[in-house]
Amino acid sequence: MITNNMIDKKKLDAMLKRVVKPARYIGNETNLIVKDNAKVRFAFAFPDMYEIGMSYVGLQILYDVINSVDDVACERVFAPDTDMEELMRAEGMPLFSLETKREIASFDLLGFTLQYEMSFTNILNMLDLAGLPLAAADRGDDMPVVMAGGPCAYNPEPLAKFFDFFIIGDGELIQPELCRIYRDMKDASPDGRVSKSEYIAEVSKLRGIYVPSYYDVEYNEDGTVKSYTPNREGVPERVTRSLIDDLEDIPYPKKPMVPIINVVHDRAVVETFRGCTRGCRFCQAGMIYRPVRERSPEKIYELAKSQLDASGHDELSLLSLSTSDYSKFEELAVSLMEDCRQREVALSLPSLRLDSFSFRVLDEIQGYRKSGLTFAPEAGSQRLRDVINKNITEENIYSSLSQAMDLGWNRVKLYFMMGLPQETYEDLEGIAEIAKNIMDMSREKRAGKGRFSVSVSVSNFVPKPHTPFQWEPQDTRQSFVEKHNFLSDKLHIRGVQFNYHDSPVSYLEAVVARGDRKTADLIEQAWKNGCKFDSWSESFNYEGWEKAFEQTGIDGAFYANRRRSYDEVLPWDVIDSGITKEFLMRENEKAKAASTTPDCRHGCQGCGINKLTECKLGGIYGK
Amino acid sequence: MENKYCLTFKKEGYAIFTSHLDMQRLFKRAFKRAGIEIAYSHGYNPHPLMSFVQPLSLGYSSVCEMLEFRTKESYIPEFIAAELAGVMPEGIVVTECVRLEDGKKTLASRCCAAVYEIVIPLGDAVSEKAGSIDLGSFLAQDEIIVTKRNKKKKLVETDIKEKIQSLEASFVDNNLILTTKLDAGSDSNLSPELLLKAFLPFFGIGTDRSEIEISRVELICK
Ligand code: SF4
Repeated sequence: MITNNMIDKKKLDAMLKRVVKPARYIGNETNLIVKDNAKVRFAFAFPDMYEIGMSYVGLQILYDVINSVDDVACERVFAPDTDMEELMRAEGMPLFSLETKREIASFDLLGFTLQYEMSFTNILNMLDLAGLPLAAADRGDDMPVVMAGGPCAYNPEPLAKFFDFFIIGDGELIQPELCRIYRDMKDASPDGRVSKSEYIAEVSKLRGIYVPSYYDVEYNEDGTVKSYTPNREGVPERVTRSLIDDLEDIPYPKKPMVPIINVVHDRAVVETFRGCTRGCRFCQAGMIYRPVRERSPEKIYELAKSQLDASGHDELSLLSLSTSDYSKFEELAVSLMEDCRQREVALSLPSLRLDSFSFRVLDEIQGYRKSGLTFAPEAGSQRLRDVINKNITEENIYSSLSQAMDLGWNRVKLYFMMGLPQETYEDLEGIAEIAKNIMDMSREKRAGKGRFSVSVSVSNFVPKPHTPFQWEPQDTRQSFVEKHNFLSDKLHIRGVQFNYHDSPVSYLEAVVARGDRKTADLIEQAWKNGCKFDSWSESFNYEGWEKAFEQTGIDGAFYANRRRSYDEVLPWDVIDSGITKEFLMRENEKAKAASTTPDCRHGCQGCGINKLTECKLGGIYGK
Repeated sequence: MENKYCLTFKKEGYAIFTSHLDMQRLFKRAFKRAGIEIAYSHGYNPHPLMSFVQPLSLGYSSVCEMLEFRTKESYIPEFIAAELAGVMPEGIVVTECVRLEDGKKTLASRCCAAVYEIVIPLGDAVSEKAGSIDLGSFLAQDEIIVTKRNKKKKLVETDIKEKIQSLEASFVDNNLILTTKLDAGSDSNLSPELLLKAFLPFFGIGTDRSEIEISRVELICK
């Protein structure tokens, strides 16, 4: 039988007439790449809605680099919305790619990006919609090799069972290499077939590739991990992340795809740098993307220009973990403002540190239409901010807001976390106090100039792997409820809006984020109970998860609310992020003493990453 | 000079699933990519001076879409057409660009009718239906009443008879093909959906809406 594995397009046409936002499934974007004659097909799967996935810059980056490989096509697939899924299941239409409308099951390679834990059930749902068995071991050589990368791959264990391998770290160089290796093996094979096990063995030699089936895991009686043992020759004890030393000449999309429908972020985006030197102790991104690697201003201008020319976007944004930490930020901001003004393009600079320069910039780019200012003190007292090493003082906040009020801003958003290690009710009171002080200040400063509003958003702290708080327990749900009641009482202040979603999502995140291989059953069972789109409040189904805990006998508290000892083997110890455990322990101990660690631009703090690469910004302030 | 132009284009293939709102953004960006500067309205919330003569429903194809717009400076219309053609996503096919006279009313306000071609698959029922579909009896009704939602989302009954300017039928393969000219524009407007709502039950045709294809073949302006 000759089949090109295309789906029935007539059927698709009729389905598209019956669903909401059919443009999610048509793949008709400007600048999309269709390779009809590719030898190897890679499906890039984003396990959430189109609108979320298309706002994710990493997708554009990898799409671009994979498609740049000769004879290799990268096509996209997203989680279909429920109305589309219903039709697909009813009509027996399998999951398909947007570019050439091929069945996903017919692809050579299938790669998921793991951006947040609450998308994991969508992965299983997508595999199922594709007609593929969930477990890697059950998928034969005639089915795609299934891999995953992204920040959640730094603890791959809860998904280990479902994937052939994981890609840890920077993807731009290793992703195309994985495709080239496959292509060459396919070329060399007499019947054009590639043996999965041979392919996996081959790519496992690359730094940054973790093959779960190459490790045997033993557990202690109490359920903790006893050991990870490589079960074949040549497999490293720990997998070191892939790391790009210098971003300057690494490919970055010059012709980004432009979605047809409105997506969350619909704009040209240039990544200015990767990594962060601030060392907030709760922040996983601040650890796993080290060290800071910058693109030159010239490169950034060039990329901005080509992105805008090729997309027609009317907004340009910069991407990094903290915009103003770019070492030549003033120069960059001034030039981009000028360019954008000439092109009539709006410039948006997210997460600015609010100093007087930023205010001048914001005042100019926002003009009359000032958006709200945002601050993320994360904790309500100086002591607790020292615990988490969040380098922002109340003095910073008040003096910035005083300037902001003078310049005409009339609202501010404050972000906090609840349930941080060592948090007391006094710290929570501090949150209310900050809000109240700002309101008082606004009454004084803005008398007669209209209302000022403060919104306080509080989220639940989730301890993450590879951070100094990886050993810490999460607050229990009961404790979160009590704290929330306390805080909402305190925040009954005129002009202050309190946003808090008391949802068990953060608990599930805590379970899954620090899960081990056993948690795979929980995720699978939750999916079987109908859980999907867990990050969407309208579809979040806690009963399904609760039932899954019961059915699998998995104790969520063991993962979420238990303090680990330093000598416990952690499931993600098999992944070497480049940040040493000694550093993380040291930071956790300092947290207990509420002692801060300066930004390592003032001097290296010995996190360990400089053993893998050069830290160009380490200690620059001292020089 | 007002630098007013009308661009005609086709909408086909998967592009038919681009909504009216999305088309506006799509064109705004296409002009930017093509380097053609659209004029903006003045005031607090400037918007590009660009509008479709008659919105096309999601899922309809068309060979005759019209976009009226103004530019900051004067261009040769053929240049605009060529530049835009080079930057359009698949399925949006530029056919022509012409300069519009200064001072005239907008095309949107002059639009009065649209011609649609509606393809209704009948499957095996075609031979039986072919003899029994007598458009005369449909059009000879005193009134043709359908229910629709008004602007307040309430269901109301409305007589569409006067809005059907012409209606013809033919059979090709297993399909019934209707060609119909309907009122279109701000004064009087009839969506082909409403025509189908009256037509299909009148002749006992059970084809699902999702299998029916509708294409706009002509837009008529006074
Ligand atoms: S090795 Fe030193 S300079 Fe480099 S990121 Fe770590 S702490 Fe900073």
